[in-house]
Amino acid sequence: MTLGNSLRAVVFFLLLLNIALVARAGDPENKIRQTTDKILSIVADPALKGPSNGEERKKLIRKAVDEQFDWAEMARRSLGRHWAERNEMEKKEFIPLFAELVERTYLKKVEGYSGEKVRYEGEAIEGDNATVKVKIVTQKNKDIPVEYRLKKDEKGWLVYDVLIEGVSLVNNYRTQFNSIITQSSYENLMKVLKAKVAEK
Amino acid sequence: MKSVHSIFLILCLVIIPLPCLAEFFGASSDPLSEETVQVEVARLSPEISQLEDLIRDSNNPGPIDASRDDRPLQVAVIYVPSPKPSAGEYAGTIPDPLEPVNRAFFYFNDKLYFWVLRPAASGYSAVVPEGVRVGVRNFFSNVTTPIRLVNCLLQANFSCAGTEALRFFLNTTVGVAGFFDPAKKDFKYEKKEKDFGQTLGFYGIGSGFYIVWPILGPSSVRDTVGFVGDLFLDPQNYLIESLWINLAVKSYYQINETSLTLGDYEDLKKGALDPYTALKDAYFQYRQGKIKKSKKPNDRHSGESRNPVLSTS
Repeated sequence: MTLGNSLRAVVFFLLLLNIALVARAGDPENKIRQTTDKILSIVADPALKGPSNGEERKKLIRKAVDEQFDWAEMARRSLGRHWAERNEMEKKEFIPLFAELVERTYLKKVEGYSGEKVRYEGEAIEGDNATVKVKIVTQKNKDIPVEYRLKKDEKGWLVYDVLIEGVSLVNNYRTQFNSIITQSSYENLMKVLKAKVAEK
Repeated sequence: MKSVHSIFLILCLVIIPLPCLAEFFGASSDPLSEETVQVEVARLSPEISQLEDLIRDSNNPGPIDASRDDRPLQVAVIYVPSPKPSAGEYAGTIPDPLEPVNRAFFYFNDKLYFWVLRPAASGYSAVVPEGVRVGVRNFFSNVTTPIRLVNCLLQANFSCAGTEALRFFLNTTVGVAGFFDPAKKDFKYEKKEKDFGQTLGFYGIGSGFYIVWPILGPSSVRDTVGFVGDLFLDPQNYLIESLWINLAVKSYYQINETSLTLGDYEDLKKGALDPYTALKDAYFQYRQGKIKKSKKPNDRHSGESRNPVLSTS
């Protein structure tokens, strides 16, 4: 093989390698992209627009979110040290209520979507933990940095925390729940939580 | 093709993906390892329960009604397992010895928002198109460049200072007195949010306890000092001679900002079981996050968000 041919082969190989490197995004980021795209398409779907389709839209968005979020893990972390003190029945009761609380706020935010772009800023994987950084680009010259924290288990990569502008959702709830439990009781927390979730 | 061209191409193709590969080998995510945290908590829990019992006994809180708060002054025990022992950062809460007073001011600010600020901002946004309001936001942001620039310098972050200086130049000229932000839109130089409170935190000064100022909102001991310090850096305080006009201008700025963030406070309240605590924690985490970020080497290189490999719009 001539020198020219070998060099051409190396160039070709490196070109392919470069393309592969540039195009790759790991599983966690792909997962986030998929779910985000799915939700954005639901919101943008003309067939689902309008208040009459509200319930249908909400149902579909919830389904998409449930595929991506590990509610049990989030609920456990949000109770912090109080989780270990709960019995099985209390745990079973708490998880869906917590999921409902978070989803309600999220749904409201998503409904207010008005064309913001989502920019993927990078991903870092360390064993079974990963973070995916995203920026929501608004029309108002303010970008919102969002960070997803994911964990891998047999179901794949699932989100266990979301940080918006550096504020962890789990930590924020943990502070609130801890404050209520230590000042009153877990029963009171459940009372407040149920009332909140039942609010319009 | 000629061999010299091939060699040149090969060199390019090897060098270009280096940032990408550096990520493979050098990438350090920083997820809190909850396992480490929980092991630490478990290890410390006997001492923690003892401390809690001591506090509970000394304070003797009565039955708590979720809406009223008449507990005696409490010492806040913050046991904070640190996931990375070297860091000196911790995931905890800000002490709040002034909680009753803070809650009162929180309530006052809440009413101020719903009764005064929100109606004014809604009315204003109905009359003034969003583009104009964003322009006003940009204008004020441009005017307050010295605050950010000086604090960049105080943190010895020269690329940050350079970015702010460049942004000021571009936005004042091309951006027509700062109404537009071509520095970000076209040249991809993003605003570096820096203030004196962050600078103090950067040098290791702790936040102190939580303070809710009437009208001004959530703060801390350190951030209040920061706020005062930044008053000396704000050009408006030198250019505007009358205090009343200055206050009027600042009020207008606040109405404009609120008109662009309508719904944010409502969403916080909607998602929170205890909005006061939610805001306190969010404020604390936000400030800690900013300080932590300013210490990272990443923040000190210009164009951190301009990596063409990672960002796609």
